[in-house]
Formats: sequence, C-alpha cells, structure tokens
Amino acid sequence: MIDASVADRRLHPGTAAIRFVKALPQAVVLLPFVAMRASGAGWWALVPIMIAAAALLGFFVGLRWWRFRYGVGAGGIVIEHGLIGRTRRSIPFDRVQDVDIERGPLHRLFGLAKVRIETGAGGKDEGVLDSVDLAEADRLRTAVRAGQAALRGDGVAGVAAAFDPPAPADAAPMGGTIFAMDTPRVLLFGLFNFSLVYLAGIYAVLNFFDDVLPFGWRDAKLYVGEARHRVEEGAVTSALILSIVLLAAGLGIVAGVAQTLAREHGFRLTAERAGFRRERGLFTRTEIVIPRRRVQLGLVETGPLRRVFGWFALSFQTLSAGQKGEGGRQPVAPFAREDEVAAIVADARPLRLPLPDSLRPVSRKHVLRALAPRIFFPLLGVTIGGFFLPQLWFGYGLVAALAVFTALERLRHRFALDGDMLFVQRGWWRQRLWVVPVASAQTVSLSRSVLQRMLGLATVAVDTAGASLLSAPDVEDLRVGEAVTLRDALKARMSCYA
Amino acid sequence: MTSLEPGQLWVMRIHAVSLGVVAMIPAFALGPFLNEEFGVPAVLPALVMALLLVWPVIVGPSRRFAAWGYDEAADALEVAHGVWTQVATVVPYGRVQHIDVSQGALERAFGVARLVLHTAGTAHGEVVLPGLTRERAEAMRERIRAHIRQEPE
Repeated sequence: MIDASVADRRLHPGTAAIRFVKALPQAVVLLPFVAMRASGAGWWALVPIMIAAAALLGFFVGLRWWRFRYGVGAGGIVIEHGLIGRTRRSIPFDRVQDVDIERGPLHRLFGLAKVRIETGAGGKDEGVLDSVDLAEADRLRTAVRAGQAALRGDGVAGVAAAFDPPAPADAAPMGGTIFAMDTPRVLLFGLFNFSLVYLAGIYAVLNFFDDVLPFGWRDAKLYVGEARHRVEEGAVTSALILSIVLLAAGLGIVAGVAQTLAREHGFRLTAERAGFRRERGLFTRTEIVIPRRRVQLGLVETGPLRRVFGWFALSFQTLSAGQKGEGGRQPVAPFAREDEVAAIVADARPLRLPLPDSLRPVSRKHVLRALAPRIFFPLLGVTIGGFFLPQLWFGYGLVAALAVFTALERLRHRFALDGDMLFVQRGWWRQRLWVVPVASAQTVSLSRSVLQRMLGLATVAVDTAGASLLSAPDVEDLRVGEAVTLRDALKARMSCYA
Repeated sequence: MTSLEPGQLWVMRIHAVSLGVVAMIPAFALGPFLNEEFGVPAVLPALVMALLLVWPVIVGPSRRFAAWGYDEAADALEVAHGVWTQVATVVPYGRVQHIDVSQGALERAFGVARLVLHTAGTAHGEVVLPGLTRERAEAMRERIRAHIRQEPE
C-alpha cells in the first residue's frame, strides 16, 4: 500500500509565475477590455478592472499551486490536488512505463521541467507535475526506477536512499552518447520532410480576421468567378502558374525544415544501464528514458529518395500507449546512416539486424492479392461513370498509377524467422523493416480471407504490446504450407523465449 | 479442434433473430410512406429486407457456429473462428495477463459461458472463446492460471 502521508512536496514556486504569465494576456488585457465595453463604462474604468483581474488571477494561481502536492512513497507516487474537492491519485511503481521530462521556453527561462509519468493507460496524462526544478525531476525519475527495482527484488537500496544521494549510480552514463544530430544534419533531415502545415497557418489567420476582412473568404464562388475573370483577361500565363507551384513547394520545404528544426534540434541519444535517454527540441526540449526491458521491437524505416542518399530512421516500440494513437513508438534515430542504426541496434540487445540477403520473399501472388481489391472498385467506378460522362475515361490513368504504386509498395515484402527473431520487410514509398524478438510476441494468428483461400495463401500476424494498428509486422500472403510452418515455428519458440 | 457446445448455436441464432427483428422495424415503417409517395406496394420494403436477412439470420449463425473451434494444448490455447475470413489465433499460456469467465443472460439460459484471455498485445489483446460449459470454462481458467503463476514476468 502507498503511505497516506507522503504527499509532502509542492511544485516549484516558479510554476505559479509561469501560469500567471501565460494567463496574463487573456485575463488582464482581453477580459477587462470586453468587460469595459459591455458595461458601457468609460476608459477610466480599464485600469482598476485590469488590476483587479490581475489580483484575482494571482490569487487563484497561487491557491492552485498551494493546493497541489505530491510525494514518493514506498509503493508509488501520490498526487493530491483540487481547490475545494481534493483528488488523490496513487500511481504504483509497477504501473509506471516512462517518466518523461519536457521543457518549454518559459520552463527553460526559470530552470524548470515538466515531468510526465506515463502509465500506458490510453495515452492520458495520468501524472503530470508541471513544473519542478531540474534536480527534482532527476530525483523523481531515479526514485521511480529504484522503486521499480525494489519491487522486482533486485536488492537495490530502498526508495528513501535513492531519493537522497546526489549522484545515483543508475543515472551515470554507461556507453555515453551513442547517437546525435548536429544542426546541418537536422536541416538536411528537414529537406526530406515536406510539410503542408503552412496551409493550416494561413487558414487560422484568415479565420481569426474573419470579421475584419472585406470579403467572405469562405465563398467558393468568389474564387471561381475571379479565376474565370482573370483567365478571360489573359492574365493567367504558364509562367504565373509555374511560379505559384514553385512558391507552394518552396513554402512546403521551408515549413518542413522549420518543423523538423523545432522538433529535432540538438537530438541526442545516450545509453545508460537501465535504458536509452533521448533529448531533443529547439523551443520545447523533451527528455525521455526508454527502459531496455520495455523495448518490444525495433523498426527501421526509409524511403526511395532517402535510401539513395543512405539515410534511415530507427524507432523502438515500447509498452506505453504513446501519443496520437500511433502505438508506443519512440524514434531513437530519426535520420541516421546505416552503420549508426546498426550500432544502436547492437546496443539494444536482444535486437539485431538480419544478415544480408537472409530474408525470403512471400508468395508471388501477394501483389495480385493486394492489387485486386484496391483496383476493382475504382475500375468499376470509372467504367460505369465513363458511360455517362466521357471525361471520366481519363480516370483509367489514375487507376493505372494507383496499380503501379500498389505493386511497387508490395513487391519487396520479405520475412525471415531466425532463432529468436522475426524479421519482416515491406514497402517501397515507406520501406520498413520490423525486428521483432519472439519473446515480445503475445499471440500469433493465421488468417485466410476468401480471396486468399482462392489463391492458396495465408497471412501470419504477430501481436505485440504497444503495436500500432496501422502498421503491424504481419507476414502477408504466404503459401499455406509455408504459413503453417511459420506459425508452428513461432508457436514453439514463443514457449522457449518467454 | 473441439467444437463449441450446442447451446451456443441457440445463443447465436436468437442473437441473429433479434438483430433481424430490429432491422425489420424501419422496413415496415417505411412501407406506407413509400406507398403514398411512389405508389409501390406497402409490403415491398419489408419483403426486400426479409430477403436480405435470409443469409445473416437463417444460414449465418450455423455457419459461424461451425467455424468456431478451439484446441487446448499443453502450453497454448488455439482459437479458430470466421466464415469469410478464417482466423486461428494461438495464445501461449505464458503470455496471458488475466482471464475472465463471463456469462450473459442469454448464455446463462443455454448453459454456456465465455472465456476471455487478455494478453499485453494491442491489436488483438483480447482473445474470446465463447460457447463453453461453465464448468469447462472454469476448469480451463484454473489450468491457465496455474501456468501464469509458474512463469512470472
């Protein structure tokens, strides 16, 4: 049980200051202004209202800080909060998956950090300490780790001891930095991350100034009419179209570089005894530790262009739910050379890369099986539609392009079961190689759809903890005999490697 | 492969019939309306719906029932199901996190229970085996639980 009296620490007082500053524009500028206009009072009322609002805001922010307490007990972390009704939350050590540290610009100004205790329960923020100072964040992480070790019976000194010493042995780097990206590399990485995020930005700006704009910018007829007008005038030249396309592409590249720089600046991966520590971010710096025991599988990704230049991405799948439903996938080397990926994988035993040319292709009918359902309905649609609207015959070109893309995407589907490791490779536009320790496999299933039965094929799927629903290491469309052999081999080995 | 208890077939049939009844209600309601607006016979929508329901209500349950099966091996449970897409899932006992035996009102009436194995997996972390007698489901739960105790972690 978690001791009832351990919630004895408060967040750093700077937290209240940050909250105050963040809420200031809205509470002290916008609201009093609205209040003044609404009440019909003159400008003279503005200053007193602003001062009152600031005082009120300060009081509540302070009260909230005062009422928020947390502590580390023998069994887990306790958080108490609530102004009137008290909420008390206990997070047992054995439920904690990750302790993440995040530092936004304001946090860094005050030397603080936001600590997120992730439990893997649906990606919700279960235990967020916003914010404590850096030393406290480190102590928390060490305490959680020591608590977990004590639960496992590793004989590590107790939690109280772990909380006291200034330099715990667990935090000492073992292998040091095993992967880092300097600014030129981050910028180069950005060039590969074309982004249309600026469109969202333009939309947001237009939305914000909706009332001020002299025309209804959402009115599609306006644009069509204007465009027709310009075409009739002869103002639309190929040079104009080309420059618009180039501008859009340029903005996309710049946005991609900026986004990548903000996220990946100062990327550093360090190997410690307990796991991998990753730091990254320009404005908001995040720091997470991926415990070795929690690494479920490795995923190496690349694309056609990146492959030509020899760049790969490596991520680990962990137990935690992760953000945005992408499964608990953590990039550990988003833009790396082949040997760098190999070095990290070697450090993450039991993971290992497959021997060259050891992967076998699945059945040749795989492409046909994948193609048939994707092509059938578009083809039917275009054919029927073409009888009514002959322009739609051009749709055949699109269907052909789709067919070529699907075929390319499916052509290189390979796999190998080598000892305690299952390797699955797939894709052309998104080339992916899964490295799945048999010990991580939770269930193995063999499935056959109607089409697969007609073609004599079967799919073998392995379920893992924290798997993303969209991209799982399934071995699709093996010949039935081969599929049964693979399933039986996996079944037998799953009992050996627990 | 061991097939399920016959009671489960009745559970599936009654389930399918009740879904069919629910689907028929709007078809009957639509009849008079279409009759008034377009002059089609009032029974037509119900007739079409009834034809559409022949497969899922009359043929479907027994086919689906026949597709279910399980195999209780020494170290793993294999569960097979699916008419169109046939799926056979192997759950090694060592990977089971916890086990439920559950029984709805309809299942209780026909003397069957469901065994649900939870693993740490995300895509199909829940493997369901319906149509066991209560005694058999509980016996299986105890056997699997003994395995979990042997292999911590």
